Amino acid sequence: MATTDEPTDSWFGADGQVSQLRGVLFKAGCLGATLLALFLVFVFLVYVAVDAIEPGTADPAWWATVVATVAVPGATLAIYYYRFDPRAGEVAYTALGLPVAATLLAGGVGIVFRHIVSPYEWLALVVAALVAYGALEAHERVRRAGAFERAAVAVVVLALTIVGLPGLVPSLRGMILSLPVLPTASLSLLGTFVAPIALAAGWYVRRVRESERAGLIAGGATFAAAALGVAAEPIAGVSWTTWIILTTVIGVPVGLYVEGVLRRGEGISGLALPVVLAAGAVVCAVVVETAGFTGPDVWLDWEFLTTAHNRTPREAGIYPALVGSVMMIIVVAVAAFPVGVGAAIYLEEYAPNEGLLGSFVELIEVNIANLAGVPSVVYGLLGLALFVKSGGLQPGIVIVGGLTVALLILPIVIVSAQEAIRAVPDSQREAAYGMGATRWQTVRSVVLPRAMPGIMTGTILALGRAIGETAPLLMVGVAAVVRISPDSFYGLFNAMPRQLYSWAQLAKPDFYHGVLAAGVLVLLVVLLMMNGTAILLRNKYQRSD
Amino acid sequence: MSDTSLEADLTRSANGRIAKERLYHGLLFCCAALTVFVTVSIVATLAIDALEFFGRVDPYAFFTGTEWVLRGDNPILGILPLLSATLVVTIVSALVAIPIGTAAAVYLSEYASDRMRSVLKPALEILAGIPTVVYGFFALVYLTPWLQGLGLEVSLFNLLSASIMVGIMIIPMVSSISEDAMSAVPDSLRQAGYGLGATKFEVSTKIVIPASISGIFSSYILALSRAIGETMIVVVAGGSRARMFNPSEPFANLLNSGQTMTAAMVQAVTTDLAGGTDGYYSMFAIGLTLFAITFSMNLLSNRIAARYREEYQ
Repeated sequence: MATTDEPTDSWFGADGQVSQLRGVLFKAGCLGATLLALFLVFVFLVYVAVDAIEPGTADPAWWATVVATVAVPGATLAIYYYRFDPRAGEVAYTALGLPVAATLLAGGVGIVFRHIVSPYEWLALVVAALVAYGALEAHERVRRAGAFERAAVAVVVLALTIVGLPGLVPSLRGMILSLPVLPTASLSLLGTFVAPIALAAGWYVRRVRESERAGLIAGGATFAAAALGVAAEPIAGVSWTTWIILTTVIGVPVGLYVEGVLRRGEGISGLALPVVLAAGAVVCAVVVETAGFTGPDVWLDWEFLTTAHNRTPREAGIYPALVGSVMMIIVVAVAAFPVGVGAAIYLEEYAPNEGLLGSFVELIEVNIANLAGVPSVVYGLLGLALFVKSGGLQPGIVIVGGLTVALLILPIVIVSAQEAIRAVPDSQREAAYGMGATRWQTVRSVVLPRAMPGIMTGTILALGRAIGETAPLLMVGVAAVVRISPDSFYGLFNAMPRQLYSWAQLAKPDFYHGVLAAGVLVLLVVLLMMNGTAILLRNKYQRSD
Repeated sequence: MSDTSLEADLTRSANGRIAKERLYHGLLFCCAALTVFVTVSIVATLAIDALEFFGRVDPYAFFTGTEWVLRGDNPILGILPLLSATLVVTIVSALVAIPIGTAAAVYLSEYASDRMRSVLKPALEILAGIPTVVYGFFALVYLTPWLQGLGLEVSLFNLLSASIMVGIMIIPMVSSISEDAMSAVPDSLRQAGYGLGATKFEVSTKIVIPASISGIFSSYILALSRAIGETMIVVVAGGSRARMFNPSEPFANLLNSGQTMTAAMVQAVTTDLAGGTDGYYSMFAIGLTLFAITFSMNLLSNRIAARYREEYQ
């Protein structure tokens, strides 16, 4: 057997000390296998990036400028953080990743306001929801009714305000929309979209800083920044919707993060990285512009993101598929999240262990594990049978695709929510019961808030899976080419992976090595961002527990 | 628990509160019961249309036919070519995924430092998040030309690169479930091994792996079931010509195009959506076969995994 070469502090398990050649080889082999898988995919990713960006077509001087102004300062800072200030390094990477993730989200919000709800519709929706809420509160004050009556009233009020009775009573939302005098579109968005976000930001800052004044400043600054864009549109040349979305969806989270870093006072120097990179990019743009260096002939450009499919490779774009994916994800999230979390709560908090119901619950548990293993193409068949053949919906519309994929990710959402709920310590539940809370009160105010980060992590991962699913979409008849973006949830749509598949069928080199690569890059960026966010969220909350 | 709180309820009528509790209880139960509904409707939809199919096509001919031609007015529907292609893909992908995945699991669980693990584990998880249509694209556009460059005579669409890609796709599944099983082996067993003078290599291969073998096996079965049901990689990179496995030239199948069960379903739906034809209904029969295979494999894997869980609690 092995002998140690020298006395060591660690008495077992330290590698190298008690390993012979065989052991060293085994360890190297295991590491090699792990890296091989990662390396292979990494190489493929590099290929895709090269195909989509075509760095070879750029002027060498252009590359030199980019390296000198962006890459070298960035790399220097990264090395500095790694060697001397790991805490700042963490801040730097978050500060770099957050704006990118927020930009993606802003793109999604922009698509929503462009294709799904107009500012007026949003205004009407928010006002109708507020009125419904007020009516419910009033009803509760006036009458101490039972839960069923309250639920019935809620359904009636919501129906009246938002949907109406078709043909008989117009909904409040519809009446607002048909008012002769409405505030301008920009004012309605400021009032019903920016104001709530500003309020939330102000409330958050007030709470963490414990200062009324700081909260007021944060909320006011948010609102003022968004309002500024509306006033200055003619001068700035950026449309006010873009400006409002930029300031609220990107500005607020980034601002709050910077505020948090400054408040904690740890790793402040990490904030330098995004600033240095941004400044470098500006300098680079100026130099390239004045010297006239030509950049690479990229496939993945603004044009690609904003145009529809075309038979000419250079003119093909992904925009309708992007819109379709965003709309589908909304359907998936709305359908799968409440049901999944509800099922998880039932299984973890309510489910009995014995009796007839107990064996039914056991059946449900086994079922969920098995549902997670059903091939996605079978879910496609299910969606086809359930929604198209039995439900009478048209094949290939957003709601059919979304619901089908929602069924597919439901087991994943349930399992991850169950894990998050199980991780809440029992002592907290007992404390709540000890205070006289009912089971639902305990769940709502003790268990769910504690479990929420875990539930969100699982849901984001599941939604990431939903974005990439292709086979179910093929089965429910999503069309190969949709040139016009869907304008409602009942419209025909195309999603990014489906678009990629139809490009893969056009066997032309320009599609394979250009358009397809660009599309893959777009899909991967969205997915890596989502998965990265989920993993960061999980690491953060695991550590703080 | 909720019953005891009634007496402390001083603010509102007890009835209202009980009703509210019952309402939420009922709603949440419905959410959970929905999953059973999903399973039942999967089985029902597949079974109803598969029955319709077997009313038109002789089941014996379907399960023993060695030819699959979907096009034309008179399709020849025998599932064996699809089944054999699926088996080929599953075996080759297992040859890729099982050694690499197991080795990765051993490294992560036994050798990796905390720092290494904190990098490698999320990286492998991200690998699992790449959509399969993208893997199919990798196989078709990059892997196949590589294989051609290595001197293999593969055609543009071939099962070899598709199955290698399926293998790469299921590595994270093997490695993460196997690693969970290995990490669940109690440290006392390892310490006992070291106490007897075993090396790290011997502890890993002779103590940890045997102790967690049922968990490792369950990960293999799950991954294989995933490989059987995998669709987009084989659709994009495997081609759409169903070929019966030819035992006299086992490698010819790999190097040429072939059609798996899932790929045949996609072909049926994308060319035959009008419905009503034999080809259209064949998709439900294949779906039922596929569902039965993967369902029983998942069940088996759960059983095996349940055994290893009991061992150390």
